[in-house]
Amino acid sequence: MSALRLTGAALVMAAAVLGGCKSGGGFDLKNVDIGNVVKSVGNLREVKEPEEIQIGQGMTETLLGARPLYDDAELQHYVNDVGLWVALQSDRPNLPWHFGVNDSDHINAFATPGGFIIVTKGMMRQLRNEAELAGVLGHEIAHVNQKHHLKALRKSAFASLLGEGVAGATNNKQAELVKSLAGPTKELYARGLDKSDEFEADRMGVVFAARAGYDPYGLPAVLTTLASADPKDNYLVLLYKTHPLPQARLDKLAPGLTTLDSIKGPQDATRFQQHTKSLRVANK
Amino acid sequence: MKTLLRLAALLAWLIPAAYAAETGYTLKATEVRDNPFLDANTIATLPEKTVVEIVTRQGAWMKVKTADAKQQGWIRMLSVRLGSPDQKPQSGGSLLSALGIGSRPKPSTNSTVTTGVRGFSEEDLANAKPNAAEVEKMKGFTATPEEATRLAESGKLAATPVAYFDENGKPLKENK
Repeated sequence: MSALRLTGAALVMAAAVLGGCKSGGGFDLKNVDIGNVVKSVGNLREVKEPEEIQIGQGMTETLLGARPLYDDAELQHYVNDVGLWVALQSDRPNLPWHFGVNDSDHINAFATPGGFIIVTKGMMRQLRNEAELAGVLGHEIAHVNQKHHLKALRKSAFASLLGEGVAGATNNKQAELVKSLAGPTKELYARGLDKSDEFEADRMGVVFAARAGYDPYGLPAVLTTLASADPKDNYLVLLYKTHPLPQARLDKLAPGLTTLDSIKGPQDATRFQQHTKSLRVANK
Repeated sequence: MKTLLRLAALLAWLIPAAYAAETGYTLKATEVRDNPFLDANTIATLPEKTVVEIVTRQGAWMKVKTADAKQQGWIRMLSVRLGSPDQKPQSGGSLLSALGIGSRPKPSTNSTVTTGVRGFSEEDLANAKPNAAEVEKMKGFTATPEEATRLAESGKLAATPVAYFDENGKPLKENK
């Protein structure tokens, strides 16, 4: 009981400190070691949605800095239509969802906080139909839905920057935020999330695709494609470093998948093939 | 007539991938059913590592036929591994082509990144400089809910309530 009261008191104190930071805007760093405060309460502080979007945008600048968008406006619009339709089935339909195909031959897909999602051209080439695309996007949307990257950032060294960087950003200092985010972004996307987050995103991703009316076996079909690949392949090395192996993901997903067997959605293969035709023309 | 032929040729070129045959093999002894349902009749059992041609896919099921074409029916997708049992794993760049899908040119897959390969490797990531202009460009492609709904309607996609499930496959609290 006393332990409980003590925790409560700590929470109130933390809230008071943080609340002070907020209303103060530019708090006095001479008097408060804000880095330590944010670090110690990093797991308690709620990042508000506009801050989350700013963080995600900053991280996306770095990811698109590694490889720019693929030059096919029609394809980009198509992926945004499919992506938003799937995202509307999530718990966060009102986020400003943005989707993009980047010009990379590697096979991968990424999400950043606040609703930014990138799929590589190489991944697009592995897909047979729109249901598979919906499955891949559903997995990434689930990462945003569950704030997986945000939670990972809080656990990392970035926690100490969270207060300063985001406070700066609200004063139109997005460039400073991006700069402070670049290192942690590179580290996070090279290291990957916890395996449990990936398994959760698989479970949720198939549910989002199913809610959107697709054949729910789109994501499993992609995983079976990847399962036949060489894990040491150049095009897959980062995906495999940052994710559990496809067969492990299929095994984990299997019990829940069978509950979706009665859902008979279309795969929309013809439409997908038409919109992705530039991907099959030489190595554009 | 000429135009029609040209159109047919164009269509054949546009959508060959969807119809190319894929092959796979059974990961374990697998029952073949006459329909894509769990309670459909079992018409055969394929031993482990039986090579099959995948005729079509529907939900959890693949319609397959055996190499000798003696058996044809439906098996679970998760019981099948693509490729052939004695074949080396496929490299990612040519994965689907090797499986009979897609027609992308085969890139080099040396262990060092070849020039001309547009990568997103750990090195590319490490060397990345933030690119704000690309994010603005990305935002320019954003869809409206109306556009997304129109896509759904034209694709015969109907929003359906589906509950989340936990790691044991147990449905979680009712969805929205």
